[in-house]
Amino acid sequence: MRIKRLIKSAAAVLAAIVLTGCGREQVSLNPESVVVVMPPSSEPEAGFDPAYGWGAGEHVHEPLIQSTLTVTTYDLSIDYDLATEMACSEDGLLWTVDIRNDAKFTDGEALTAKDVAFTYNTLRDTSSVNDFTMLKEAVAVDGDTVEFHMNRPYSIWPYTMAIVGIVPEHAYGLDYGQNPVGSGRYILKQWDKGQQVVLEANPDYYGPAPGMKKVTILFMDEDAAYGAVLSGQADLAYTAASYGEETVDGYNLLDCETVDNRGFNLPAVPRQTMEDGTVIGNDLTCDVRVRRAVNLAVDREKLIENVLDGYGTPAYSVCDKMPWYYEGSQVTNDLEQARALMEEAGWLEGDDGIREKDGLKAELEIAYPSGDSVRQAMAAETANQLKDLGIDTSVKGVGWEEAYTMAYRQPLMWGWGAHTPMELYNIYHTEPESGRARYSPYANQKVDQYMDEALASPDLEASYQLWKKAQWDGSAGITQDGDIPWIWLANVDHLYWVRSGLSVADQKLHPHGHGWSIVNNVDLWSWNN
Amino acid sequence: MRINRRTKTIGWIALSSAFLIAVTLLGCFWREAALITDFSRKNLAPCKEYLFGTDFMGRDMFVRTITGLSLSIRLGILTAAASAVFAGVLGICGAVLGKGADSFVTFLIDLVMGIPHILLLILISYACGKGFFGVVVGITLTHWTSLARLLRGEVLKLKSSQYIQIASRLGMGKLQIAVNHMIPHLLTQLFTGLILLFPHAILHEASITFLGFGLSPEEPAMGVILSESMKYLAMGKWWLALFPGGLLVITVLLFHMLGDNICKLLDPGSAHE
Repeated sequence: MRIKRLIKSAAAVLAAIVLTGCGREQVSLNPESVVVVMPPSSEPEAGFDPAYGWGAGEHVHEPLIQSTLTVTTYDLSIDYDLATEMACSEDGLLWTVDIRNDAKFTDGEALTAKDVAFTYNTLRDTSSVNDFTMLKEAVAVDGDTVEFHMNRPYSIWPYTMAIVGIVPEHAYGLDYGQNPVGSGRYILKQWDKGQQVVLEANPDYYGPAPGMKKVTILFMDEDAAYGAVLSGQADLAYTAASYGEETVDGYNLLDCETVDNRGFNLPAVPRQTMEDGTVIGNDLTCDVRVRRAVNLAVDREKLIENVLDGYGTPAYSVCDKMPWYYEGSQVTNDLEQARALMEEAGWLEGDDGIREKDGLKAELEIAYPSGDSVRQAMAAETANQLKDLGIDTSVKGVGWEEAYTMAYRQPLMWGWGAHTPMELYNIYHTEPESGRARYSPYANQKVDQYMDEALASPDLEASYQLWKKAQWDGSAGITQDGDIPWIWLANVDHLYWVRSGLSVADQKLHPHGHGWSIVNNVDLWSWNN
Repeated sequence: MRINRRTKTIGWIALSSAFLIAVTLLGCFWREAALITDFSRKNLAPCKEYLFGTDFMGRDMFVRTITGLSLSIRLGILTAAASAVFAGVLGICGAVLGKGADSFVTFLIDLVMGIPHILLLILISYACGKGFFGVVVGITLTHWTSLARLLRGEVLKLKSSQYIQIASRLGMGKLQIAVNHMIPHLLTQLFTGLILLFPHAILHEASITFLGFGLSPEEPAMGVILSESMKYLAMGKWWLALFPGGLLVITVLLFHMLGDNICKLLDPGSAHE
């Protein structure tokens, strides 16, 4: 009897294995649905509420469930979504935006200018993730016109409008993040926290109907995501360069270009102790010639080959390929010239190959966030390359709680990249309280001035030129010929396993954050068979 | 030739300590080599040149594993010794200094034992700024309890024995009794306890580093090596986990055997079996 039962259960197990094995090659049952795997960090902890960072958070993306006033196009200029017309006053302090009349929230109510004003005023008061201090007040003038009164000119306001999802005034409350009502392409159908989010196409959407009717998003770690691909559970799953050499039957590797850059800061002032006891500055990197030498000495191509297995592009600024990028930022790797610069700066090679100046050894420690193996490898490779320059470089893994203060006095491996020129401002512009830039000690009045002018400019297109001038105006800036307080290494490609037959629509350059960006245009994806 | 148990025991002790000392010394010697990253040789399977293969940054895993073990062993020595001293002092104080001190020590023991081990370890290590220092303080402050309890019991037993009573009647002070009559008895316990603390210390070092609350990821430490290797298991790179993990187990077992064997030799009850 017992043996019989054993055989029976063994047969059942076998059958299960065989059956699931067959299921593997099957494309999703519903041709209009797709299963996407993202890292667990992409799950919006506070829900789908723009006030708590949904879309408009640390990693920006289109909010899908809500619609936005503007959108960014493929070349990252501005187009309209809810807006039909947009104008900025000459002094930059008043933005007037007309919105379309046919947009409806999924509960049937029409979306009016009052909802827009409500959204922006709420975000101004509550957003903990994004800066809205430039906004004084949003006012609904009539049903379809909204005015933004600004505290200070802010020419790149349309880029902010591209990430702020409009919430309904009548259905907004504390639990909005859990039960979002929006007017976007998708409706939140189901959210199993820690596991999955299910989105369904909004039947009343004012734009073209989404091609994918159902989007399931699973949150998994890197290795689990790979497992989901191996077992055929996912249609599209994020992955890392370390998996790039693997091949999986029925899946292709999708390689998306990004502005998700990695680079490190070089403190531009000598080491000193501030009044509050923090130590800032670095005696090696305070010399601009040393910083220039470092920028020339890093071999970006080799780094990308070694660390990213070729899945990346060299980065020369925080905003490569954006409309406000100054092309002259690019440099070519030249170790000889770098050495000459070090000699010129007075750092001469000692017997052990390490440079010295006035008895001081050329030593540098590059910190990296300890959970990030890609940044660790980049720091290690950079350290190897800088040793050729005669700088004794080591690496150290640190937690974020101490990383920010460490970066005041030593390089830290950062990751940046966003669809707004504000990134330049955040990194290079001085803060009024301290008189130096926020993340790494540096100050240049000329650079500050161009960025202030750019923000004050009433014309967005014209402001791009000023952003470029902030990078290099012919005599001052932040590029190789200028102060070069940050060294940019690579834009890390975002890699995905994609099931054969799924065609993923063209992607904009992804910003920092390997998460929601991929589904920005999931409504345009399709299965071809 | 007949080999009696005593010779066999001594043989085992010599063998295991030779292995442990060799690993420790080699690791100190290879400290620099373990940090070298060379991307031209990354992700190699085990071969003659790299016995344990290389990892994603081209580090020699054999060198890294030995250095990691060496670090663990040194850390184990430090923490086990500190814990043992701590336990010894507290245990003896508790038992000798009268009721108040005793209940205070038992209270301390219960307090520390009452909180889950690994949790307390993480808290202390984190509060002390992680890194080598944090791990040492964390392990020391959590591992003394069982040994202290054992020693306290032993002292209480001794206290009621006749010769101690007599010594006390003859006018010897408490401290004098403790030093002259008790400590010689307790040394065996203390020494064995110390060695048996090692495996614990090593495993806990590895586990909190594995969880990310210990040493920083570029350090050659067992926890770091093992947690990194997890990621590569799915890609079929089993050697990154198997060899370092195996060696860690062997080291821990050797320490355990060392402790057992030394106990056999030193314990008067079994020394002549």
